[in-house]
Amino acid sequence: MNLRESLRISWRSIRAHKLRSALTTLGVIIGIAAVITFMVLGGGFSEDIVGDIEAEQEPAMTVQTQTTPEDGFGVMLVETPIYTESDVDALEQREGVEYVAPQGSLDVVQAESGGEQLTGVVDAQATTADRFEHATFVDGGPFDGADEAVVNEQAGQAFEGNVSVGDELELTFEDGETTTVTVTGVVESELGEQTPPQVFVPADEHYTTTVETPDGDEERAYPTLQIGAEGLDDVDPVQETAVDYLEEESHAAELKGDDDEIAVQTVEDAIEQFDDLVGQLTVFIGAVAGIALVVGSIGIANIMIVSVTERTREIGIMKAVGATKRDIMQLFLVESVVLGVIGAVVGVAAGLGFGYLGVWLLGWPMVYPLEWVAIAVAVGTGVGVVSGLYPAWRGARVDPIEALRHE
Amino acid sequence: MVAHDTGPGAAAVTAESVRRTYHLAEPVHAIDGVSLSLGKGSFTAVMGPSGSGKSTLMNLVGCLDTPDEGRIEVGGHSVGELSDAERARLRGTEIGFVFQTFNLMPRLTAVENVRLPMVFHDGVEADRQERARSLLERVGLGDRLEHEPSELSGGQRQRVALARALANEPTLVLADEPTGNLDTETEAEIMELLVELNEAGATILLVTHERAVAEYADHVVNLLDGEIESLEHLSDARDVTAREQAAGGAGNRRSTGEGEA
Ligand SMILES: Nc1ncnc2c1ncn2[C@@H]1O[C@H](COP(=O)(O)OP(=O)(O)O)[C@@H](O)[C@H]1O
Ligand SMILES: [Mg+2]
Repeated sequence: MNLRESLRISWRSIRAHKLRSALTTLGVIIGIAAVITFMVLGGGFSEDIVGDIEAEQEPAMTVQTQTTPEDGFGVMLVETPIYTESDVDALEQREGVEYVAPQGSLDVVQAESGGEQLTGVVDAQATTADRFEHATFVDGGPFDGADEAVVNEQAGQAFEGNVSVGDELELTFEDGETTTVTVTGVVESELGEQTPPQVFVPADEHYTTTVETPDGDEERAYPTLQIGAEGLDDVDPVQETAVDYLEEESHAAELKGDDDEIAVQTVEDAIEQFDDLVGQLTVFIGAVAGIALVVGSIGIANIMIVSVTERTREIGIMKAVGATKRDIMQLFLVESVVLGVIGAVVGVAAGLGFGYLGVWLLGWPMVYPLEWVAIAVAVGTGVGVVSGLYPAWRGARVDPIEALRHE
Repeated sequence: MVAHDTGPGAAAVTAESVRRTYHLAEPVHAIDGVSLSLGKGSFTAVMGPSGSGKSTLMNLVGCLDTPDEGRIEVGGHSVGELSDAERARLRGTEIGFVFQTFNLMPRLTAVENVRLPMVFHDGVEADRQERARSLLERVGLGDRLEHEPSELSGGQRQRVALARALANEPTLVLADEPTGNLDTETEAEIMELLVELNEAGATILLVTHERAVAEYADHVVNLLDGEIESLEHLSDARDVTAREQAAGGAGNRRSTGEGEA
């Protein structure tokens, strides 16, 4: 019997029991819709965060403190200032290190330019000019003097007057003090669209956070460092040296919390870490969906067994007019595969629909997880085959004489 | 032992000392030592009370069942020695079944029902639809092609079943009480169609418990408790000569037979 004829007969029987067929495929539909929805959401989320990070190679790395939350996935950043001036100086002495730029935030509550005031929007960071060694300037360059500042594109555009090189900015601190700086450069953000508006000012003049070092001195300390290597070839050794120093000898090693970890990451490392997190979520969702699919295939198998029993007489008729065991197997297998594929297709459509709605509500970009669509259809077919095998085998074994006596 | 020989030349069906036993509380010999030979193109009726083994005999001849003892040959093949798939093939190509309860596929239309044997028989791919249509026209249902069985009367259903039995041009047509569920008028229509088929050369084996129906045949096998009780040749009882002329052949109807209880 050729495939087209079996499809035709199977389709008749699926259509004759519309409600039952629909309920049968529900398990597969829910399983696959769940996978696709989460893949769209996960993809949109990744795309939103990672999508426009410039993964271009630069010989720089970031030092941050991380902690693993007690429950849940991934890591959280810890903002405690533990990297002291001595640590910065010591790291700068290491081989292959070109510069070490510390960075820490300032308590700026308001920024004003040309009479326009922004409150609680602009984030102010104290750092050194080295911080911009590998940065791309849209206009101008790094600051040089105490009263100068660099803004990122977001900060420039945050003002209706579009702050640019040469403009003056007045920053108001939490304690009410103010300072006026002149913008020397507008810098592109490495983290893309999501970066908040930022103003960078020289740390020497503006950063005041201090901690008590293990030696008993009071020193300025920062929550973040950027280390620049002399060349791309120096990145790996410098990363190793930095980790060794920071974990073994630094003030930071003593100042950090017990559960905190010092992370030295290049941009690529950061992307990789994020991808790992998304990967873990994917495995988790995959497991949940797997359970739904197992339930789905049991549903199909169950209905197919009922269907075989119900159609015993029809099987007898088909055998009497020349159907072989293989023909009967084929008919029932085709039917369960058709159910599985319908489940997969509807599931994919529903998943894309829910996913689209989700990313639209969250303002993330829409991502079509094509490989998952292909996997879903393959899985649907597989579920159809697996759940159809036993019922089809039972159908093929039906004794035609008994079947024809069956009323 | 009873031998029934309906043709001197090649036989369409031969049975030699066939026995079919059902093992219940005690063994039931549904067919108990039957020997029979149906000549090609013969028309034979099987009569007997309920439970005498008529349907069992049909199933054996129709390759749906195999004998426990003895040997059955259909179209030159020894049924007991064939594989399951080979028997299915023989059913599909050489044999056409007609049942008392019609046994049509409920969700398929008349045309699709008639196509069914062609669907399982990969040999005749070409224009199944056209052939199914012309078969339905031949049984007078040219205007009911797309009807499902539930939309047809009993007589119409049986005509669809008959058209389906003819789908692969079988040489042997087996009809188990084909008119059992029909009124007398429809019965006559169906029987006329069988006679026509027979005249076209098909060997026909018909089960009935009505004398009037059996008289359409040329030979009657009377079964009792799984054994052949007696054998009748009715050729003289009806205008067989005319039909012989219509069929354009002699020899088909010649029969020799011997019976012992
Ligand atoms: N599947 C079966 N299992 C057990 N006994 C059966 C079966 N089929 C038929 N029989 C028995 O075999 C005998 C002949 O049955 P059957 O051929 O159907 O008779 P008929 O068609 O002449 O009424 C009966 O006694 C019946 O009970
Ligand atoms: Mg019977």
